Amino acid sequence: MNALEVKHLIKCFDGKEVVSDISFNVEKGQLLALLGPSGCGKTTTLRMIAGLDTQNDGEIWIEGVLASHGSKSLIPQRLRHIGMVFQDLALWPHMTVCENIEFGLKAKGLAKTERQKKIDAVLTKVKMQKYANEYPSRLSGGQQQLIAIARAIVTEPKLLLMDEPLSNIDVKLREEVRQEIRRIQHETQITTVYVTHDQEDAFLLANKVVVMNAGKVEQIGNTEEIYSFPKSLFVANFVGESNVIEVKIVGKDKVSTPWGEFACNTKGHEKESAFLFFRPHQARIEKGGQFDGVIVNRNFVIDGYMYRISTSGGEIKVQDLAKYEVGQSVKFSIKKMEVLFF
Amino acid sequence: MQKKLTLGFIFALFVCVTFLPIVWMFGNSIYGDGGFSFVYYKDIFLTQKYIKVISNSLILASITALLSSFVGIPAGFFLAKTNLPFKGFFKMCFFIPLIIPSYTTGIAWANLLGKTGFLNNILSQYMLFSPESVSNFIYSIYGASFVLSINLFPVIMLITEYALKNLNPRLEESGLVTGSVFRVLRQITLPLITPAIISSMMIVFVLSLSEFGIPSLLQVNVLTTQIFTQFSAFYNEKAATAIALPLIAITFVVMTLEQVYLQGKSFEILGRRGSNSTIKYDVKWLSVVGVIFCTLVLIGCVIIPLSTLIFSAQTISAYHDAILLAKRGITNSVLFGSIGATFLTFMGFFLGYLSEKIQSRLRNSTALFIWLFFAVPATVLGIGLIKLCNRPEGIFQFIYGSLWIVIIGYVARFSPLSSRIMANYLKQIPHSMEEAGTVIGASWYRILGNILLPLQSHGLIATWLISFMFCIGEMGTTILVYPPGHETLPITLFTVMANSPANIVSALSIIIVVMTLLPVGVFLAISKYLIKSQIAQ
Repeated sequence: MNALEVKHLIKCFDGKEVVSDISFNVEKGQLLALLGPSGCGKTTTLRMIAGLDTQNDGEIWIEGVLASHGSKSLIPQRLRHIGMVFQDLALWPHMTVCENIEFGLKAKGLAKTERQKKIDAVLTKVKMQKYANEYPSRLSGGQQQLIAIARAIVTEPKLLLMDEPLSNIDVKLREEVRQEIRRIQHETQITTVYVTHDQEDAFLLANKVVVMNAGKVEQIGNTEEIYSFPKSLFVANFVGESNVIEVKIVGKDKVSTPWGEFACNTKGHEKESAFLFFRPHQARIEKGGQFDGVIVNRNFVIDGYMYRISTSGGEIKVQDLAKYEVGQSVKFSIKKMEVLFF
Repeated sequence: MQKKLTLGFIFALFVCVTFLPIVWMFGNSIYGDGGFSFVYYKDIFLTQKYIKVISNSLILASITALLSSFVGIPAGFFLAKTNLPFKGFFKMCFFIPLIIPSYTTGIAWANLLGKTGFLNNILSQYMLFSPESVSNFIYSIYGASFVLSINLFPVIMLITEYALKNLNPRLEESGLVTGSVFRVLRQITLPLITPAIISSMMIVFVLSLSEFGIPSLLQVNVLTTQIFTQFSAFYNEKAATAIALPLIAITFVVMTLEQVYLQGKSFEILGRRGSNSTIKYDVKWLSVVGVIFCTLVLIGCVIIPLSTLIFSAQTISAYHDAILLAKRGITNSVLFGSIGATFLTFMGFFLGYLSEKIQSRLRNSTALFIWLFFAVPATVLGIGLIKLCNRPEGIFQFIYGSLWIVIIGYVARFSPLSSRIMANYLKQIPHSMEEAGTVIGASWYRILGNILLPLQSHGLIATWLISFMFCIGEMGTTILVYPPGHETLPITLFTVMANSPANIVSALSIIIVVMTLLPVGVFLAISKYLIKSQIAQ
């Protein structure tokens, strides 16, 4: 059974559709990332799942129970048994860490001893036991993140929703907190929906990624599928660095490119427009390369250099370990490519 | 559901105490003896006398708005944009005229410029003015505008200062890269804050239009005093209501225009984005001009009126006599003020929530609807309440004959203000604070009790004290609705003015000033304590 099913969800603001007929599901215990640029509707989708916003149409099923249908909320937000980590964390500044966590348990009517047991357990889980009596303002950004997670999971929710929880912290801390999120999710096995615009977050944390753009789902798949086999021009360009070149299939396994004709697996297609897709690291600058170009830009990246090469078919990006000068004429080969049909 | 029910109930209550009396009053003025009649309205709009009264009101409001801006805009500029010495002191003192009831300033200036007044003597001895011309000035529209400007310039000053301080410094910095400081001021800063200044002038216009205390004290014939005269002297409530119509129409139109003009304009531009400092014009001579200007304003608007009252009281025994005379008024004022402030804070919180926090398309319209009632003149509201409550049925009779009619008057008059204050405080709480409680599974009352109210403690205290301050000074509505034996301090003052010596009137004025300033002192002390304890956390 799916822990969450979203079916044909539509949401309009002032007559404008911001979420357009999106559907996806999450299996129990999985972490699903909603990945997309700002304003693509991912936070709105998350808020509809939480019941904080109501959709105009569509269905949301939580653990097999219909939570909302059409524009009607069948289960009110507070009865959906959801934990949520907000982008600004929303830790209540006038309550201590312990009181922040205890709030949800009190709302559920748990006895004092049981509450204390659960608070101790969750603080141990996030390794924050010694901060129980501190106020949130006294904690570092990373510690606040962990408390927000502890508050969200202490009630053992059916679903954990995370709205860009790492967007406000610096790169180094981000990595540490990301590891913690991964560990906590793995240990608790809480089904999680994680909203982010950061591919790294999505790729390192998620079992499944839903790429969204302009309110629509562009592609759903595991990280490898999304990275290697993008199903749309948007996904190809949005996820990782890529080169997408318009080509024509001129025969069986034969494509015509701006650089000339060459053999390539055309997946059974024989006469059609298509796109040649390859990542910068799948091309190489080499003496006996297939194609000619001139380097117009060079940037240092952690594993080598990222070049922009001007070719007769436009500019392409190539990653290479060796150092070449800007303005230098080079030859390059494409080692691995895909022909995609969008 | 809890949330909808509570907010719906409070809004209905607000409509009952503000909207209903006015609608009832106007309904009664055109309906009687089994049919509709517009005879009183015909009189108003076709009689030369009333045309004159309407134009008097408009002149008074326009001159006051202009005079207040002449003082308020530079004062706001010096406070926000220069390195003015004693800035905090000046700012605190400039609040005083706004806080104290306007009629106390009026009494002071009438004492000074009246026929036997100290300043009148000086002006007539050393200048070419005759004592009559000076006295005629203070007892005229221009004199009333002058006194009202003293009371209301802080509104323009505060809004100008706020606008200047919240101006995105990057906008000015980008100008400073290529132009001089004064070019930037003229071509960038001033155009950007113009909407805020115009809006503040409109607010002053409306407040002056609905002012009763000063015109009544200085015997200026305007709409508010005419309403009072028709109602209290001639017992002609229908004529009073008819006169109220143009007044309420003008105030509503101006307030709506102000809100519409401001929408999407100033705060979009003025929103501070990623900036953390205000550009200051660090020019020495500007600071010197600022000190001279602010000192003159301080002398004219605060020191002269207050010291006049203190000197006019002459002896300590005057205070003793004043207290004896106004014992009941003082007790009533404190009691009614406390109850009124408590209700106002309660209403203000929920109305502020409605104006700021509900996720509905109706939010802006609701906020505008609530705010519009701040413009309802006190005398109009008073008549409306009397019309609504003066009936033989049980509960109405009880309200009409008890302190509750005064309390309802306070709530009706000041709940738009208390809601605006609370809305500003509530704005500072991110929606996610409440949503975090909701998704966890807490009911709205639990969220209210454990999250919203504790986070708003500062706002609640501020709203209570400001409401108390306004209740203590309220005269326009109370003078019409108070039942025998329930007179408040301003009413006692009004009575005493007619039949007691000037020193007693001055002493009583000082007592009112102290009683209104006291809550401000308490508020500042509490704020300081809360900030300290927050830092300690």
